[in-house]
Amino acid sequence: MTAVKTTEAAAPAGDLPPALPPAVTGGAPKRRRGGAFDRALPYLLLAPALIAILWLIGWPVVSVFVTSFRQLNLGELVRGEIVWTGFDNYVTVLQDERFWEVALRTVLFTASVVVVSVGAGLGIALLMRVLTPWVRIALQIAMLCAWAMPILASTTVYQWMFDQNYGILNKTLVQLGFDSFAGYSWFSSGTSTLSVVGLLIVWQAIPFLAFSLYAGLVGIPRDLYEAAGIDGATGWQTFRAVTWPEIKSLLMMVTFLSTLWDFKVFTQIWVFREGGPSGESTTLPVLQYLEGIAKSHFGVAAAISVLMMVILGLITFQYLRKLLQTEEGKI
Amino acid sequence: MLKKSAANVAGLVLALFFLFPTYWMLTSALKPKGSTITSDYDLIPFSVTFTNFVTAWTKPGFLSSLGNSLLVTLTAVLAAIVVGITAAVAMSRFAFRGRKSFLLLMLVAQMAPFEALLIPMFLMMRDLQLYEHLSSLVLVYFAVTLPFCAWTLRGFVNGIPIELEEAAMVDGCGRWGAFQKVTLPLLGPGLVATSVFAFITAWNEFLFAKVLIRSQDSETLPVWLSGFQTAFGTDWGGAMAASVLFTVPALVFFLIVQRKMVAGVTAGAVKG
Amino acid sequence: MKGWKGLAAGAAALAVAVSGCGTSTNSGSDAETKEITVWLMDGSAPTTLTDALNKEFEDANGIKVKYEVQKWTGIQEKLTTALASSTPPDVIELGNTQTASFAEQGTLADLTADAEQFNGGEWLGGLKDSLTLNGKQFGVPFYAANRTVIYRTDLLEAAGVAKAPTSRDEWIDAIGKLKAANASNPDFQALYLPGQSWYFLLSLIWDEGGDIAKLDNGKWTGTLDTPQAKAGFEAYKALYDASAEKKVPADIDEAKPQQMEVFGTGNVGMMVGLPWELAGAIKAKPELEKTTSAFPIPSKKAGESAPVFLGGSNLAIPASSKNADAAKKYLALLSSKKYQDMLAEGGAVPGTSKDTAKLQTTAIGKAMADSSPNGKVTPVTPKWAAVEAGQNPLKDALTAYLTGAKSLDQATKDASEAITKAMA
Repeated sequence: MTAVKTTEAAAPAGDLPPALPPAVTGGAPKRRRGGAFDRALPYLLLAPALIAILWLIGWPVVSVFVTSFRQLNLGELVRGEIVWTGFDNYVTVLQDERFWEVALRTVLFTASVVVVSVGAGLGIALLMRVLTPWVRIALQIAMLCAWAMPILASTTVYQWMFDQNYGILNKTLVQLGFDSFAGYSWFSSGTSTLSVVGLLIVWQAIPFLAFSLYAGLVGIPRDLYEAAGIDGATGWQTFRAVTWPEIKSLLMMVTFLSTLWDFKVFTQIWVFREGGPSGESTTLPVLQYLEGIAKSHFGVAAAISVLMMVILGLITFQYLRKLLQTEEGKI
Repeated sequence: MLKKSAANVAGLVLALFFLFPTYWMLTSALKPKGSTITSDYDLIPFSVTFTNFVTAWTKPGFLSSLGNSLLVTLTAVLAAIVVGITAAVAMSRFAFRGRKSFLLLMLVAQMAPFEALLIPMFLMMRDLQLYEHLSSLVLVYFAVTLPFCAWTLRGFVNGIPIELEEAAMVDGCGRWGAFQKVTLPLLGPGLVATSVFAFITAWNEFLFAKVLIRSQDSETLPVWLSGFQTAFGTDWGGAMAASVLFTVPALVFFLIVQRKMVAGVTAGAVKG
Repeated sequence: MKGWKGLAAGAAALAVAVSGCGTSTNSGSDAETKEITVWLMDGSAPTTLTDALNKEFEDANGIKVKYEVQKWTGIQEKLTTALASSTPPDVIELGNTQTASFAEQGTLADLTADAEQFNGGEWLGGLKDSLTLNGKQFGVPFYAANRTVIYRTDLLEAAGVAKAPTSRDEWIDAIGKLKAANASNPDFQALYLPGQSWYFLLSLIWDEGGDIAKLDNGKWTGTLDTPQAKAGFEAYKALYDASAEKKVPADIDEAKPQQMEVFGTGNVGMMVGLPWELAGAIKAKPELEKTTSAFPIPSKKAGESAPVFLGGSNLAIPASSKNADAAKKYLALLSSKKYQDMLAEGGAVPGTSKDTAKLQTTAIGKAMADSSPNGKVTPVTPKWAAVEAGQNPLKDALTAYLTGAKSLDQATKDASEAITKAMA
């Protein structure tokens, strides 16, 4: 079952899951005796990956910190000047009330999307267990379609469905008698825009969550439920006593992953309304883009990037620490 | 029993919820031009045409961006798989000083929020003079997918009993021969699954493709499609047809994984 | 391709990157120019012009022209990243409101000494101002254009509007008649006016006597919350509401979707647009050629036309272009009378020739020429670009006001503050 599980624990389209703990079955590696080549071999094998990671991930991480202390606008960049400004960029960002507004919005948006998608994913996983097989397969195929759709394709389809004048949603609502939805704009406020973006993200995130949680549920030994049945436990009690303990760690993991992904969403928000109207759907990744790429204040944007990583680190700190500890033990 | 049928009804409603956008994309793409933008209620299409697909296919930029997307994605995934496999074998089959730190580095690298590295990546590609060239995207997508590929493949290599390799080496195969004849074939399903998910990531990527590429000849499909209103105006039928064409490769790859999952189970049986 | 080779050379360049030095760029000429990259904007020069120009240039100099047409949407970001790169295009087209800011950052080559070969004596004043910074010229005027009301002669006639409106009241009246006459078509727009057509909003604000911002002691302050500017917003809403029961979305501009595409569907009676937009609509639906005409945007004062935003473009050479000499030759050729006449013929006020006779031959050219003396521009300062970059407060204010998300007072107050902040 190893392969199946690994496959199912894959990501919603567009994001790679950290392929967290595949069970180690190969046994502890043995130290081999051999010539110099044999001793050097593992390092030679690792070298390409190590160089790539240090160069393409490690260096940019260092660079983003360094850049955040520089004044770097288009002029400095073109002239190749290096102007150190100390904490000026951070002062600029942190003194701007817009930043705090956007940061708070990003955290709230992430939290709502994560809670709704993980909750719905768990609900559907539980539901799938009791479905008649053909209904379950139909549901799985439908979810696969949502999952496989590239983000830009789904974003385009959603724009069409939510179109103000010709969108099928407004037309349907009017048919159902809600005449006020004729020509209703779903993108007239930040909250409403973010709700549509959130719906899109949840819709595409649920399949991964439901599939992996379902795989976890199926793995729970039957006799545990039989024992609970004999004890006369109600559905809720069975869930609390049997399902929950078995699935808790998996649930924590997918929640953690969802947080990582949903926090940095840029594509959907940008393509819908570029963070509008009036900047009301701007989140931190969008703000970083606006400052850095649109206004060419690269130093300020780097400071925003660093702050983004700090916020993300704070949110996931507890889990991250636990995860690294357990993984370190396993390795 | 009542409870079960209620559950089934809920399951079907949910299936509709997940399926509807796909349905709507397809039917809008199949509607004749002129009957997409209409005030009539048209949940079910009355006539079917493929002209929208022709329109989308022949739009300036569609084919070149499709080609660019395929080129960038496949190159990056191939590189990540090759480099990932060597790292996976090293992590799984060898004991060496620094192994543990390297494993932790891989784990942490998987969680790097790439979006936050936009500015340094942009500056780096500029300094390397790769900026505006597709190779910059190859590098970024390679970096994004590599830690995941290496880590996942390590799991698959771990799943192959080391005794099989040792037996092959006793039979006179060298280390490379043993890898080629034993490990690689058994790794097949894992390789496919890993590359598909790497493919999806690169296929979807938008932010870097938007920032690092500025020439229309080098645009990838997501960027091209994000400007569909410039290309299609209010021609939603054409835009939907383009979306369908964009979805097909991803869907095909998903279906391949589905099939290989069966193979994966059989491969797992080797463990005995 | 140099990029793939560059990938191999990447390791060497990495040393530069690690040491934190940006590669310094050298402007000037490269003896061995084989190709120059030229970026012009969507709709700026007719293809007949660019085809002939590129061919003549290639034949005369033996240098290939890599000609690319850019879209206006998101151009600010694209130019930023292009100019930041060490291998930028060699000739670029910049909106007149963007030029000062790019010049101030030192990203454009100083062309003051070369003005003579670009027909410097006949430069269009408004454009020359927009590319001049501290007495130096950082570009060459390309063309100017201003918006007029493009309309369907057949539909107006059928609706009983005998002559083109000459005051705003007459205009609204004509819109009403058009709307009534086409009531049977649920998708008909008497005046296709997307909610964020902010250049047109400027016309109305100026017509009411207001402005976007004012300069006091070197500091710019947004003035959209003055009663005059508010009257401009109200006029916009009146026109927007008068068009049809089915509102055009309030959160789109004239480029997304291209309003010419919408006009080309035949469901539109009028639009406020530029000559190239009409040309685009005609291309989509050739029969429109015979049934379209244009009149200047009417003022609220009867018989006058409203001030218009003098849109336009300049051509510039990025400071880091490796092929500056070839690029200058290209600009010199484009500035010659032959190509300037072709620009005028295409429906634009040419940037380096005072001869507009060719322009007056079409109805829309005439309407444009009639109102262009009344042309105005956004504040001429490098700081203006920050207002247009990314999220434009004028667009946001329009959307918020038209959808009712904010009151007029609130929307204009927020927009004024945003402008003050962006221009600080």
